[in-house]
Amino acid sequence: DSHIQYERVGADVTMKCGSMDWDAAVTWTVNGTDINDSRLNGSYLVLKNVDLLQSGQYSCYEGSSWHLKYQTYLRVGTPPKEPVLMCRSNNYPKGFYCSWHLPTPTYIPNTFNISVIHGTKDMVCEKDAVPKNRCHIRYLQLFSTVKYKVTLTVTNVLGKNFTTLTFDEFAIVKPDPPESVVAKPVPNNPRRLEVSWQNPSSWPDPESFPLKFFLRYRPLILDQWQHVELSDGTSHTITDAYAGKEYIIQVAAKDNDIGTWSDWSVAVHATPWTEEPKHLTTEAQITETTSASTSSFMAPPTTKICDKGAVVGSGAVAVCWTAGLVVAAYSVLFI
Amino acid sequence: GDSWGIFTFLCAALCNLPALPALNCSEELGAGQSIQQTYDLTRYLEHQLRTLAGTYLNYLGPPFNEPDFNPPRLARAERVPSATVDLDLWRGLTDNARLAANYRAYSRLLCYLRVLDRQVGTAELRHRLAHFCASLQGLVLSIGGVMSSLGYPLPAGPAAPPAPPGAPAASNDFLKKMDDFWLLKELQTWLWRSAKDFNRLKKKVPPAVVTLRLEARGF
Repeated sequence: DSHIQYERVGADVTMKCGSMDWDAAVTWTVNGTDINDSRLNGSYLVLKNVDLLQSGQYSCYEGSSWHLKYQTYLRVGTPPKEPVLMCRSNNYPKGFYCSWHLPTPTYIPNTFNISVIHGTKDMVCEKDAVPKNRCHIRYLQLFSTVKYKVTLTVTNVLGKNFTTLTFDEFAIVKPDPPESVVAKPVPNNPRRLEVSWQNPSSWPDPESFPLKFFLRYRPLILDQWQHVELSDGTSHTITDAYAGKEYIIQVAAKDNDIGTWSDWSVAVHATPWTEEPKHLTTEAQITETTSASTSSFMAPPTTKICDKGAVVGSGAVAVCWTAGLVVAAYSVLFI
Repeated sequence: GDSWGIFTFLCAALCNLPALPALNCSEELGAGQSIQQTYDLTRYLEHQLRTLAGTYLNYLGPPFNEPDFNPPRLARAERVPSATVDLDLWRGLTDNARLAANYRAYSRLLCYLRVLDRQVGTAELRHRLAHFCASLQGLVLSIGGVMSSLGYPLPAGPAAPPAPPGAPAASNDFLKKMDDFWLLKELQTWLWRSAKDFNRLKKKVPPAVVTLRLEARGF
């Protein structure tokens, strides 16, 4: 019959072939592959200093009849290390949630048990379906002077471990980042960007528990951020943007009075409004006028370029594209 | 010295008079602005308290100055007014009830703090406590001003100055220190709560309404 056997990494494991005598002739296999006789001590299989790779299905067959006498699934793992626990209130004053994980895997199944004590009262932390390893608690009372003590115990077949967090109601308040951050250029204003955002949807009561915001922005080409703190409102106009440069902008939120700042919001990019380049005909005519009087920038006169339209002051409508572009390019460099 | 005498007098006045006369300055400003000022004052006090509490708890010594110190609440400490309240109840408080709760709490906390001041050992602590008490005094007056300008009666003070916590067990030094610890904790929690109370009041008291009320009363 088949069962599961859990062993610690580095342990010595001896497997018996069911009820067979020590001196019986048997063959062991692991995951269907024969194991050579050097690992055997009589009919016992001896695995010294097991490692994770030795996990698998071990089967023992009687020598001649090939009857399956014993089968076990060996799972090599470790007892749990101290778990990592975090508690946070992103929906103040409704309550808080705690989430946890193991710093290193154990490679075998673990169970988690969480307890929350408030003063002398035991509270129930309701487990969330998704994500796993998370539970939430509703506050029964607000503005409590008594701390909350959360203990997380993790247990598996090979051992157990735990960690405890003790905190005040106010200390764990941290909203989610602001949502729907939008940055837009302002028409006819080459140094402005209009940024707007919304309160995080998880914050239940912004009327009674208002949030304040922190905006940071920088042009992509620079490393230094500029910061603005805003005590109310969900929009702000940046007035000192570098003209024509693409900006990256983020916003964070915090309860007006308690707790810590949220993580930064998703970054948005925006470039301030820039003037449209003028129509090319006008440009070329003006630059042809100027370049006619300065000899250095004359386009090399070749018959294949313009035969008409490049005459100064002629007001010619037909502009030769090639000459026009070349001259325009030179003149743009020197504006 | 002299300042202590003045404070004692003020405490007695606060504790014994049924109501403060309405303050002219807050009527002129309008309740909206007074609420903002009261809110600002609670934030200032909260900031001041952080330094004061740190110094005082160090003075009390371990375990009171340890960050994880989390003692059970003893029944005797209930005399200090608690900010803790049921969420729905807190939400449903009328403006009058909300302001009155704050007024009563800080009046009593102020009296307790003054008793502390009398007993404290070091000059530095006495100085800090005196400064804090003066600011807390200002907060109580500010709340009173808001209530008056909104036409609410001021809550009656305690019949007699409240018995200082720890008086029955003066012989037990540790219990006395526990009382001090809880007093500071409640004060801190009240200041956090007040910020939220005044946020709510800010939204609910538009200046226009207040002007009407003042006019109706012939001010």
